[in-house]
Amino acid sequence: MTSTPMELRPVASVADLPTTTFGHRSIAWWGTIGFIIIEGTTLFICAMSYLYLRVTVGQWAPAYAPLPDLGVPAVQVALMVASNVPMVLVDRAARRLDLTAVRSGMVIMSLLVVVMCVLRGFELAALNVRWDENAYATAAWAILVSHGTLLLVEALETLAQTALMFNRRLEQRDISAIADGALYWYFMTSVWVPLAAIAFLTPYVAGP
Amino acid sequence: MQTIQFPGAHSALDPAGPQATAIKAWLWDPMYAAAVVTFVLVVAALLWAAFRRRPSGEPSTDLRHERGLTRAVGAATVVTVLVIFAVLILDGVVGHASTGAPANALRVTVTGHQWWWEVVYPGHSADEVATTANEIHVPVGRPVVIELRSTDVIHSLWVPSLGPKRDLIPGRTNTLRLQADRAGVYRGQCAEFCGAQHAKMAFTVVAEPPARFAEWLSNQRASPAPPADSLSQRGQQVFLNGSCPLCHAVAGTRAGGNIGPDLSHFASRSTIAAGTRPNTLGNLSGWIVDPQSMKPGTKMPPNELSPADLHALTTYLESLR
Amino acid sequence: MSSTIPAPAPPQDGRAATTVAEVVPQLEETWRHEPGLLGWIRSVDHKRIGTRYFITAFVFFLLAGLEAAVMRAQLARPENTLLGPDAYNQFFTMHGVTMMFMFAVPVMDASKLYLVPLMIGARNVAFPRLNAYGYWVLLIGGLFLYTAFFLNTGPDAGWFNYVPLASSQFSPTRRVDVWAQAITFTEISSLVAAVEIIVTVFKCRAPGMTLDKMPLLVWAMLVQSFMVLFAMPWVATASQFIAMDRLVHTHFFDVALGGDAILWQHLFWFFGHPEVYIIFVPALGFVSSIVSTFTRRQIFGYPAMVLSLIATAVLGFGLWVHHMFATGLPQLGESFFTAASLTIAIPSGVQIFCWIATIWSGRPRITVPMLWVLGFVVTFIIGGFTGVMIASVPFDQQVHDTYFIVAHFHYVLIGGAVFPLFGAMYYWFPKVTGRMLSESLGRWHFWLFFIGVNLTFFPMHQLGFEGMPRRVYTYLPETGWGPLNQLASLGAATIFVSVLLFLINVARSLRAGSPATRDPWGAATLEWAAASPPRPYNFAFIPVVKDLGPLWTFPGQLPAVTGIRTDVRDVLLTTLIGARPDSRHRHPKPTIWPFMAGIATGIFFITLVFTPWGFVIGVPLLTAAFIGWAWPRGQDHREQMSVEAESALGVSPEVPA
Repeated sequence: MTSTPMELRPVASVADLPTTTFGHRSIAWWGTIGFIIIEGTTLFICAMSYLYLRVTVGQWAPAYAPLPDLGVPAVQVALMVASNVPMVLVDRAARRLDLTAVRSGMVIMSLLVVVMCVLRGFELAALNVRWDENAYATAAWAILVSHGTLLLVEALETLAQTALMFNRRLEQRDISAIADGALYWYFMTSVWVPLAAIAFLTPYVAGP
Repeated sequence: MQTIQFPGAHSALDPAGPQATAIKAWLWDPMYAAAVVTFVLVVAALLWAAFRRRPSGEPSTDLRHERGLTRAVGAATVVTVLVIFAVLILDGVVGHASTGAPANALRVTVTGHQWWWEVVYPGHSADEVATTANEIHVPVGRPVVIELRSTDVIHSLWVPSLGPKRDLIPGRTNTLRLQADRAGVYRGQCAEFCGAQHAKMAFTVVAEPPARFAEWLSNQRASPAPPADSLSQRGQQVFLNGSCPLCHAVAGTRAGGNIGPDLSHFASRSTIAAGTRPNTLGNLSGWIVDPQSMKPGTKMPPNELSPADLHALTTYLESLR
Repeated sequence: MSSTIPAPAPPQDGRAATTVAEVVPQLEETWRHEPGLLGWIRSVDHKRIGTRYFITAFVFFLLAGLEAAVMRAQLARPENTLLGPDAYNQFFTMHGVTMMFMFAVPVMDASKLYLVPLMIGARNVAFPRLNAYGYWVLLIGGLFLYTAFFLNTGPDAGWFNYVPLASSQFSPTRRVDVWAQAITFTEISSLVAAVEIIVTVFKCRAPGMTLDKMPLLVWAMLVQSFMVLFAMPWVATASQFIAMDRLVHTHFFDVALGGDAILWQHLFWFFGHPEVYIIFVPALGFVSSIVSTFTRRQIFGYPAMVLSLIATAVLGFGLWVHHMFATGLPQLGESFFTAASLTIAIPSGVQIFCWIATIWSGRPRITVPMLWVLGFVVTFIIGGFTGVMIASVPFDQQVHDTYFIVAHFHYVLIGGAVFPLFGAMYYWFPKVTGRMLSESLGRWHFWLFFIGVNLTFFPMHQLGFEGMPRRVYTYLPETGWGPLNQLASLGAATIFVSVLLFLINVARSLRAGSPATRDPWGAATLEWAAASPPRPYNFAFIPVVKDLGPLWTFPGQLPAVTGIRTDVRDVLLTTLIGARPDSRHRHPKPTIWPFMAGIATGIFFITLVFTPWGFVIGVPLLTAAFIGWAWPRGQDHREQMSVEAESALGVSPEVPA
């Protein structure tokens, strides 16, 4: 049982509006921004907790734990920064609806993200401490593991989207998702630069 | 046992020291008055707005009215800002009264445990240190700086009649400055949820004239006199041969446990079980036999004792003045 | 010859329709609710989901209220034996957790998810499947929490779960782990709802509804949603930190190995303070809606009202240390938080003055919703005054963690959120259910509740001054706290009766309440243009607005746009600033995948309570669920082959098979 709705008088038509859009015109893009804010805040919290414990309690490397190695972390940072180049190319290809370029580009991104995940494992080893040894170890692992979760999500999303690009029943709007994935990629890689600096370089900075 | 007032005064609105007095006189009283006045004004305005007589029909959106309303809202906002500012100033004034550590302050260290208070008066040497529990004596009119620590979880020391509270946080040392300007007995209670018996973690602050306080302190510093009569002596044997020394200490004996309160001058304290009951023979007997009935969850286990042993033990403990 | 060959018929997708009668039959078919239990589970309709959220949240309100009733019964007499310390500690923790996490935020989520799309002229929220998922996650979390409680494993370290008490050393049972993961469910659900509202408000507003023509309720929900986005991650991360300290021996809060107990308080309260404004700000939206309708004018001072909402939200993030004034932090730092905590009273004051100005200059009708608004002002400001008082560090250091604080926060939360919420229920019940609630029962409900709340909580101010701390399962008779506690418990019984009256009112009205018209109150905003209750597609055509009060400006007939498809779930997206029609977007049909993803999430976090292997089990399950969810079904042939309109992108539309 329901009452009668109000009368409506048409004054214009939106029939000719497009149905596939990119960037801020697309709501999936805004959804991606929303999740970037949430996950960015989480990473910020891990970084702040690390610095808080360093400054407030101060039982830190090198006095209370070995210094981390810097080799593998440097490779990861370089790889992440560099990976934005192919990502931008794939992003542009998606906006042009150039499926061939998108397909090959996404295969490359899939390989890159798998390598990054493997490197993350080696970065954890490069910390030279186990997470349960002391608060410094915990805080360092927290940064790597929380960003590692982003990495894992990005990996699963990239692989799934790559597979999707080879789907026969692909719709145009699905290609818009590639651009959203690219946005996430830019975030994930750039946020790693300050996080890696905090996690790997702080023990090398002398302080109170 | 002491026959002092149980449970002691405990009202922030009846302050007995400069900190609590400043808070009541310079913060509570003026803010309460301002709140009452504001409440009456706002509610009156609201009711007048809702029920005043006005011509019927569509509401007027006359620009003059809107401008008048703008001025009224603006004025009310300005008044609000001024009141807020006044509170900020009052806060600054009082804030300075509760801090600092004057040179003539008495220093006491209180360590929080689940669910009792360890109280230590430092001395110049090891045998000048006085250790007691759940009762803090202070001289009237002299500032007291309490150093606050915790061995387990966060507790909070609060004596409403005397002043603000401060948390006892594991891994940190906090300090709290208090002062009693009136002799009397003041009740305090733990004010940070600390587990099963948070509700029964009280303590007593006894403010006495400086001479009486000095007498009390020197007594606390000395070892208790050995038991004089045979019943007490038997009681001491029951104490030392039982499980008591595992947790409790009595100066001058081989009992040196530090898990529970120091019992050297147990009889000089007015309450048992951290302010849960007055310190009487009957209450003590009940506590020793079955602490769980008085404080379920407390760490002290029940003790099965024959009535004769129990009587001797409690007599001994009540001899430890 | 060619004239005998008929031209191809235009596509039957509704885009060429010019009257409501042409589109309604196909809209009813395209947007219809699937029948049965399976259809109910698969629904992606924001109104059904919002209703679910609301009922679930209200059930939790009743459960938390019962917990409070038992607590008040225990405290009515000194040394009472109704609840021992172990049970009481679970009860007060559950009361706080349920009220704050399972009721207060979800009920606001419910309200915004139901009302916002209707108020902005949209058909649904931006991500219908995500919305469904958010609800299942909340439900599973709540069921998990209460199952644990009934099995004597309910959290018992307080709703803010301080360490070291909550560490595995001092809380060795699973109770704290239950806390840590149960609230994760509510965090996910509120983050989901926040993203929904932000994107919906940004992109799905009716043509012409620029930001300065959005109803104040929509502003309130938008501002609150941003607060959720920035605040929730703090408690989510903190609870995972404590879970890890307990499960895999990390040392965030372990003092012995370089951790810090106060870190917990910073992390928790950085969330915890905005949390109370997350609960309060939507209620301000309710009040504006009700006052406007029942004074027959727009709220006075719209720009000031919007700025006050934003100021409250921003300032709300700068206050958290006022919960830590007794921990011994440096004085200079504390002064900043005193100033900020005092300042936030100003925007609240501005709003109250604007509402009073509105009522003064309008034509007030004191219906039941308006009664609740009056009660809100009177009750909330009492809490506001004590809030100003406890902004001062020395004063707070007297009353912190005592019943004075219990009085304060119940006055602001009940006064500031529950009163407006009851008002909102009486106001929108006709829209949601198609029936009117009883006005006379409503008045009884209001007066009993108002009296009960004041009887319960006013004496607690005095109890705090007299030394009664929070979270005590009993107290000694010699303290003299008995009589005031008894009075408070009598007040609690009064509240109980009043809520019972409300439930009776709802039950009777659902069955036999007078039928509601589309707009029983004569309101101005778009939700009152839809039917009562609204059709699944909300509006046959998307309305066009030109000011804050479309139904007052265009009585009887609203201007609208046509051209949206009716053969698929087509919706209109508009631009952020100018609210100009920008694109069309296809919404999903009902689907089981959000439910499956909710189950996977449940398995993930519940297993984590017991073992870190939850990660290994949960991640593949979640991945499978989200792939099932997002994998396109290629349902829309026309999109696959589409040639028209994509030319607007200036690219080749061909997508090789």
